[in-house]
Amino acid sequence: MRRVAVIGVGVTKFGKHDRTSAELFAEAASEAILDAGVAPSAIQALYFGNVTGGETERQLHMAPLAATLLGLPTIPTTRFENACATSHVAFRHALMEIASGVSDVVLVGGAERVLNVPTESATEFFAYCSDASLEQPAGLTFPGVFALIARAHMDKYGTTEEQMAHVAVKNHRHGTLNPKAQFQKEISLDTVLKSAYVADPLKLFDCCPFTDGGAALVLASEEVARKHRKPIWVLGSNAATDTMFVHEKRDLSRVTATERAAQGAYRQAGKTPADVNVVELHDCFTIAEIVATEGLGFFEPGTGGLAAEKGWTSLGGRLPVNPSGGLKAKGHPIGATGAAQIAEIVTQLRGEAGKRQVEGARTGLTHTLGGNTATVVVSLFGRD
Amino acid sequence: MTERVIHLKGFFEEARAGRLTGIRCGRCGALALPPKEFCEQCRERDWQPVPLDGAGALVSFTVIRVAPRGRAGEVPYAVGVVRLTEGVSLLGRIVDVPFDTLKAGLPLRFRPLEIGGQTMIGFGPA
Repeated sequence: MRRVAVIGVGVTKFGKHDRTSAELFAEAASEAILDAGVAPSAIQALYFGNVTGGETERQLHMAPLAATLLGLPTIPTTRFENACATSHVAFRHALMEIASGVSDVVLVGGAERVLNVPTESATEFFAYCSDASLEQPAGLTFPGVFALIARAHMDKYGTTEEQMAHVAVKNHRHGTLNPKAQFQKEISLDTVLKSAYVADPLKLFDCCPFTDGGAALVLASEEVARKHRKPIWVLGSNAATDTMFVHEKRDLSRVTATERAAQGAYRQAGKTPADVNVVELHDCFTIAEIVATEGLGFFEPGTGGLAAEKGWTSLGGRLPVNPSGGLKAKGHPIGATGAAQIAEIVTQLRGEAGKRQVEGARTGLTHTLGGNTATVVVSLFGRD
Repeated sequence: MTERVIHLKGFFEEARAGRLTGIRCGRCGALALPPKEFCEQCRERDWQPVPLDGAGALVSFTVIRVAPRGRAGEVPYAVGVVRLTEGVSLLGRIVDVPFDTLKAGLPLRFRPLEIGGQTMIGFGPA
């Protein structure tokens, strides 16, 4: 298999937009192509992610629409949907197209728009990512899924609501350093702890927001990438799946798909958790960050809450997690999130992250989780 | 090829009538709920339907306070994962149990529920 690098990144401002998902993606994609310094005509395929366009915009067949709006109407396109892991899954497939020798330059990313519908509608559409036979009829929501995980983690390890709140405070602090973040305002521990319950024990400030936004990456073969100013190499990328049914999870305090995806990605890259300098991981809820830092091998099971409380995952700490502000503060346009996480790690490894730069970062990791912890993709990146 | 012994539709029809039905693998004895094609344990496709008693204990739970569209009138409501005495688990709505008494290990019993025109798996006091 051929080596592949990310040579271009583009991300829209995250927040509320009055443009469509396809337009948001096209904006991010043009930024990524200009960043890559390749001619638009060099792009050979588009791997595009979007989840709720059929519901929020009455728009399907969005991949060719995005290519049309980008001004590249004749390249082959594919639309991906794996809940919140959508564009990280798309990334892995784009990677395989280049690694296998089919193409040399591929565009990948995604977009989402949900702030044009009421919150209860967005909550319903996101719940479509859980099982429709058993779970949706019971009224299970995504905060509900992670509340079940939080309760199990609290019961097993003594993790506290205050430790979870530390994740929110940290990611909001990081968000103030990211001009594209949806929220660029610090919050206090008290604000989180006194916010209303959404699904006990998760409160409003334990949850990431609904977000509109787009993100895009240009991937290239080694031969093309060598001509780029700062290629960031894909060292490994692995996907794992687990049962869709929450009731079938063997241990609700763990996300085994994260553990399996990470093991494969580390093996491909020839790296261990100790080699990683900067991480963008899936903090859709504060407990999700705690469980992910354990599943990715950074902290022992049951100590992820302590790591957040002690500041080990803050910028300046032993392993900065979500310097972009994460899903919590940067925002979570679900079809774009995986690509946006990769864009942040590429920016960090290039040394171009400004005030939120993790000094000397050489190896970075991205982790994206979809749905009822059923889909996880983990990728590792490195610089020359 | 053996015929499916029970489908999701049949599972719910049975559940509506108050009968919880799982499937047991004819090769390794693993229990599954809801029905599926291959046994996750041994990959065999040889199921027998088995009636489940419906008694179990709470594994984890939450009280939903922000609901999807169409369910706003039902909040707050409790949802939990219950481990049945036979060894399989099931997710459902928990009713007739005060929220402040919910805790892991609490004994509960299956009951079919019809709320807001929708049939769902429910659990009430044992």
